[in-house]
Amino acid sequence: MAEPEFRSSVTTLTATPAGAPALTDESALTKASVRAQVGASPLGVDFTRTAKRDGVLIAAIRPDEWLLLGSANDVEALLATARFDASVNRIDITHSRLCLRLTGARSASALEKVCSLDFDDTMFPDGATGSASVAKVSSDLIRDDIDGEPSYLLLADRSFGQYLYDAIHDATTEFADAL
Amino acid sequence: MLLVPCPHCGPRNSADMSYRGEASSRPDPASTTPAQWRDYLYMEHNPAGWLRENWYCSSGCRRFFTVERHTVTSEFREPPLPGSKTALPLSKTAEAGAGTDQQGGEK
Repeated sequence: MAEPEFRSSVTTLTATPAGAPALTDESALTKASVRAQVGASPLGVDFTRTAKRDGVLIAAIRPDEWLLLGSANDVEALLATARFDASVNRIDITHSRLCLRLTGARSASALEKVCSLDFDDTMFPDGATGSASVAKVSSDLIRDDIDGEPSYLLLADRSFGQYLYDAIHDATTEFADAL
Repeated sequence: MLLVPCPHCGPRNSADMSYRGEASSRPDPASTTPAQWRDYLYMEHNPAGWLRENWYCSSGCRRFFTVERHTVTSEFREPPLPGSKTALPLSKTAEAGAGTDQQGGEK
């Protein structure tokens, strides 16, 4: 059976004002969830940390859950080569999760307006991950800097897509350059 | 705002949590009277003092955990180990007005 066509739940994108953190929709990334017992480490990544392996970003978002992000081929190849025991669960969640990326020097300040996590570099450095309420939506956050510039991936249930996009975009606008 | 100490995520805003009520021991179905079941299901201690509670970290690690909270000061502490002297009494109504807090200690 053919792979279903991916459709993002963010249907209306808004232009980023000059100087404000850039918000992009990366929901089309392939996402896989790996679940194991608490204390197990099937992918060798500890809770609240991330690692990059063969083009795939692995984020330990919960004590018993790991999220794999990347292209479909890379994620599939990594899952095929990883050695899991029978208790480990793997599932493709590409079509159920929204993925937004917020990039820019003031992106932490924008996120702090809608989320109670501490995004200071000492508490949430590059490679950190956490889960919290963002604009009242349970979300997973991953710090994934691009060329030294702070960047955050935000994942949530796809049904919140447009609302969450609009809420975060609204939070970023105050950091735009003054006209 | 309450700062709830999740054992996995660390101190978190209670808005990221879900309160799941007082933590108490489930009676043995084989030897429990209807009155004891009613106590277990519907009666609350509601003390002005330390209270053992279940919380669910709904926006974080999505795991249940038990902590003790002082209902007057909102101070949190880890609960004692199961089977220790401060474990919850089975019946909640029996101790009402008996001069003890939920953990069996003096008020």
